[in-house]
Formats: sequence, structure tokens, C-alpha cells
Amino acid sequence: MKKLLLVVAAFVLVLGLSACGGGNDEPLQMLWWSDGTEGDVMQGLLDQYLEETGVEIELVLVPYNDYETNLATRISGGEAPALARVTEGHLNNFKANILPLDDVYTTSGYTNLFFNDDGEVISLPMDVTANGMFVNLDLLDKYEVNYPTGDDEVWTWAEFEAEMSKLDGDDVTTPGVFDGKAHRFMPLMYQAGITIWDEAYTTSNLTSQAAVDTVEMFMRFFEEGFLDRNAYLENNAANLFKTGNYGFHISGNWNVSGYQDLTFDWTVVPMPQGANRATILGGKSLAAFDGSGQEDEAQDFIAWMAEAEQHDTYTGSVPYLTPRLGAVVDYGDFTEEYSVFLDEIAATDAAYVQDWLAQVMIPGMYPIINQFAEDAASGNFDSALELLTQLEADLKEAAPAE
Amino acid sequence: MKKGVVRNTIIAFIIVVIFLVPVIYIIASSFKSSVELFSSEPTFFPKDWTIKNYVEALARGNFARFIWNSLFVSVTSTALAVVINTMSGYALAKFKFKGSTVIMMVILSTIMLPLEVIMVPIFSVLRFFHLYNTFTALIVPAAATPTGIFLMRQYLVTIPDELMESARIDGAGEWKIFTRIILPNVKPAIATLAIFSFMWRWNDYIWPLIAISDPDKYTLQLAIANFTGEYGSDYSSIIAMSAISMIPMLVIFLIFQRQFVQGTVQSGMKG
Repeated sequence: MKKLLLVVAAFVLVLGLSACGGGNDEPLQMLWWSDGTEGDVMQGLLDQYLEETGVEIELVLVPYNDYETNLATRISGGEAPALARVTEGHLNNFKANILPLDDVYTTSGYTNLFFNDDGEVISLPMDVTANGMFVNLDLLDKYEVNYPTGDDEVWTWAEFEAEMSKLDGDDVTTPGVFDGKAHRFMPLMYQAGITIWDEAYTTSNLTSQAAVDTVEMFMRFFEEGFLDRNAYLENNAANLFKTGNYGFHISGNWNVSGYQDLTFDWTVVPMPQGANRATILGGKSLAAFDGSGQEDEAQDFIAWMAEAEQHDTYTGSVPYLTPRLGAVVDYGDFTEEYSVFLDEIAATDAAYVQDWLAQVMIPGMYPIINQFAEDAASGNFDSALELLTQLEADLKEAAPAE
Repeated sequence: MKKGVVRNTIIAFIIVVIFLVPVIYIIASSFKSSVELFSSEPTFFPKDWTIKNYVEALARGNFARFIWNSLFVSVTSTALAVVINTMSGYALAKFKFKGSTVIMMVILSTIMLPLEVIMVPIFSVLRFFHLYNTFTALIVPAAATPTGIFLMRQYLVTIPDELMESARIDGAGEWKIFTRIILPNVKPAIATLAIFSFMWRWNDYIWPLIAISDPDKYTLQLAIANFTGEYGSDYSSIIAMSAISMIPMLVIFLIFQRQFVQGTVQSGMKG
């Protein structure tokens, strides 16, 4: 026993000593999560950066579900990472700890920028996302479902429902699945001409008849088994679509690369339209953090990454829609699919983009809408108007005071 | 009597089946293709067995290293926990000194604080000692646990003081009494503590998530969680790696099961 104790004590001592050390010559850390191949593409660029500059940047993969916990603890504990991949939500929550980038790269060359309270740019947009619909061509052909094929051809919601309702055989679980995120729900509202805010964040037309009709349609889709309720509530739509038992998946462009190995034929068609066409821009950015002790090196990397060659390599290799204005990205085998998403963006009125971006000022906005859409899909509520009235009240409460 | 044995055996068998079904389902599902995994007509066993989930998951990271990291952290931490908690429990159970009750109460009260509440202060302590991003950060904070000290103290209280007193009369020193008299008598409690401690460390997720930043030092649980992205989770890989992660727990339990059962059932001391 005495020997065992000595061994353990010696071991702890060695561990303790090995823990010391470190300093500014350590590699920079870039916090990252991956949905597909983007981590590998970024690793390739980091290798290239090391070769060109001698500066090593380590890609630290953190599970997405706990990404924010990790980032928050590091920042409050004084171990902020030099760089991190971030969403709009992260930018909102950590904007006080993120370095301004106005003097680091030419921000006018990018769309989907985010700003801090002083109006300074705090992100390098790495990709933008747009909504679209993936359809299972094998199932659609089997049940003789007509779908839009031409450039300007877009379904109305009524046409879409009528056609997809033909999918009712044993090999069909429900006609389709819908991604469980506010990003996918809100286009329905914008398509009906509904905006959330006026300029002062005070009024909305969320309780208008058009809004009620839209939400009622959305609720009915789940109620009647046209959309799979569990897929929405458990955010599992992509996994289910892969089984081949669903006719469509309302989602976004990132699935193009994820669906490469499917056992059935598929393509992308535009979302059905209401009074007009609309999509929502989302996307991820790169941010540099204050307090890492490697701020200059982090900003240098962002400047390098913002150069056309590197940025286009990233968006083209994953592939992603590019936020770099004027960029011509080669989407290779996915050119056709990506043109649908680009069309959706082009067809979207700027007022809706602006309305959605209000969440930069209102951190609570996104979770509130997410919860609303979940409630609507859950089947636990009967009245669309009641839900919308509550949504309006919640959003007004979250909005900045006049 | 015989009737009672048969009845109890049947009840025990049913309970075993209830507990085993999820485990077998995970193992069986780890051999299903991703399409079959989400099929609307799920089956218990795969229609087409495939090891693709394992191959793909293992290709997405250095899992040999992650498993080694988890083993290293769990084994070392458990060894330390056994030594520290047994000594602490012994001191609190057998030595009367001023404030011993208060110390025990303070130790126990820390059970009330969930890790999430004290995460940032512990993180600051790690930084202060330059332990951030080291294995020490995973091993040392977990070495003395209030539950472990409590477990050992309660067990040691049941050992008669006369044993120690007679040893003292025979001229044994305190160290000898602890190692020769006390330790052999608390083996069941040690086995229980070892199993729990290993299980806690092996399954630990939130603390390694905070304390480790170097991917080479990731534990298995951390690596598995990385299969979850913003837009969904790679359940095929998660299930395959979860099946692998069950193996060490099974081995540890098989080694200690006799003492474990004895330790949890026994309230007093034999003989």
C-alpha cells in the first residue's frame, strides 16, 4: 500500500509539473463545429496558412450543443480563444468580447455583416445559407407528382399541397419533412408579406389575417400528417429524408453536400410561394476575440482569410453560398442545385432581409420565434391567432426600449 | 421454499431482460445502416448487418487516442480517489478531533452545488495553477468527492474501535493500523467507490468540455459529442462509438462485481 501511495504521489507530481509552461508562442486556437466537410476544408486552409506564414492555428472541435457554454466559460475564465466560428446568436451574445474588424479587411466586399453596439463590423462572413426544398425524385415519379422544373416556375402553397398529397402509399411515411428551425419557418411569413417590425421595433403585422392564414396552414400540415411532426420537434428531418420514405425536405443549401450518397435520385426546387417569394439568409462567420493574448495574430489570419482566393476556396470546396460580393464560385457538380438557392436570394425583397436582421439588435428575437414555431407544430395549441398574439407580445417585450 | 426461489428467479430474470434490452438494442442498432436506423418500420435487429458505422466513425477522428485518454484519466483518477477518499473517510470516522462534525457537514454540503454553478470558479482555479488544458485538470479535481468521502466514512464507522485499540496495544503504528487492519476490512467499500469513480470519470462530459481545449487530449465522450452539428446529429456514428464506450465499464464491473455487491448490500462488518 505504501508503495502504491508513493507511485500515485510521484505520478501527480509529474502531471503537475508537466502542466506548467506555455506562452504566446503556442498555436492560436480556433473554436469550430462541423456539420459536414467544412472542418476538413478549413484545416486545409490552416495548413496552407502555416506554410505561408509560419503561424500555427489549431482547429478545436467543440460539440455544437455545448458550443456556447464552452465559449462563455473560456471568456469569463480568461481563456478566450483567438478565433471562433460563430452564428448570429453567438455574435449577439458575445459582441462585447469580439474585436472590431473594420480596419482588418475590406468589409464593403461582403454581405451578411454583423455589427457591435458602436456600429463596428465584428465578423468575417464565411458563408450564407438560403432555404430550398429537396425532393425525392424516385417517389415523385412513382406517384406522378408534378414539380417545378423550369427557371421561373414556382409552386404556390396550394399547388404544392395538392401535388404532394398524391404521396400516400405504404412506402411513404408522410409526404414531407420540415427542418425544425425558425430560419425555415419565417420564410412562410415573409412570403405572405408579413414583417415583424417597423423601424422603431414597436409594431408588427403579426396578427393580420395573412399571418393567421399562414400559421393555420403550417399547423394544419402537421395536424393532417402532411408534415412529420416529430421530425420538426426533434430537428431530425435530414436523417428521416435519407430513408427515402419522404417526398420532400424543406431545408437549406448545406444539405446539398450531405445528400451526395443517397440511394435515390433527388433535386432541389424553390420553396412554394405565397404573395411573393422570400428566403432567409443565415450563415456562419469568423470572429476574433479580445483577451486571447493573440489578438494581432488572429486579426492577421482574418485579413488573410478575407482575401478572394482563400475565401472562394472555402466556399467552393464545401460548397457553400458565398457572402463575398461579386465572387464567382465554382460549385462543380452542384452548380444546378446552387442556382436554385441563388435565385431564391435574388427573388427576396430586401425589406424582409432587413426585418430578419433585427435580431442583431434583439438577442431574444430568434429564440422567441423558434419557440413559437415549435408550439405551432406541436399540436398542443388550437388557435393560430392566440399564438400570434402571444408572439407579438413576447417580441415587443424583447425589443429595445424606445 | 423452492417455490419462492423459482418465483424470485423469474422476477430477477424479467428485471435483467428489461435492463438489457436497451443495451442490446444499442449494440444491434450500431450495425444498422443509417437508412435502416431511421426507418419508419424499425426492427430490433438489423436486416442487413454492416460495420460501416464503425468504419466511418473511426475514420472521423483518432479514436484510439480518445479511448486511451479516457482510460488514462479514469484509471488515474479512480486510483487517486480511492486513496484520498479512504484516508479522509478514515480520519472522519475514527479520529475524534475538534470540528470533525463541522468538516463533514461542509464536505456534504458541497453535494448540493451542481457543477454548472461552480464551473467558472473552478475554471479560474485551474488557470491560476496553470492546469488548463492538461490531464491533471481532469484527474485532480475529481480525486476527492464528497460522495466518496461520505461512502467511506459510513462504512468505516461500522468497524469496531477495539480492532484499532488492540493493534495499538500490540505496538502497531498508525500507518500500519491503516494499511494492515483497516484497508483489508473495507475492500467491499473500496470496490464500490472504484466502480462509481471510474463510471463518473468515464462518462464525464461537461467538465472535460470546459477544461480541455487540445483535440489530442479529448476524452471519448467529448469526441462522441462532436458528431452533433448545428443542423443535426450523425446518429450512426454516435451509436457505434457509444457501443464501444460501454466495453470498459463492463470490464470494470466484471472485475469488481463480487465486492461491489457486498459493499452496497453490507451495512455492518462481518465476523
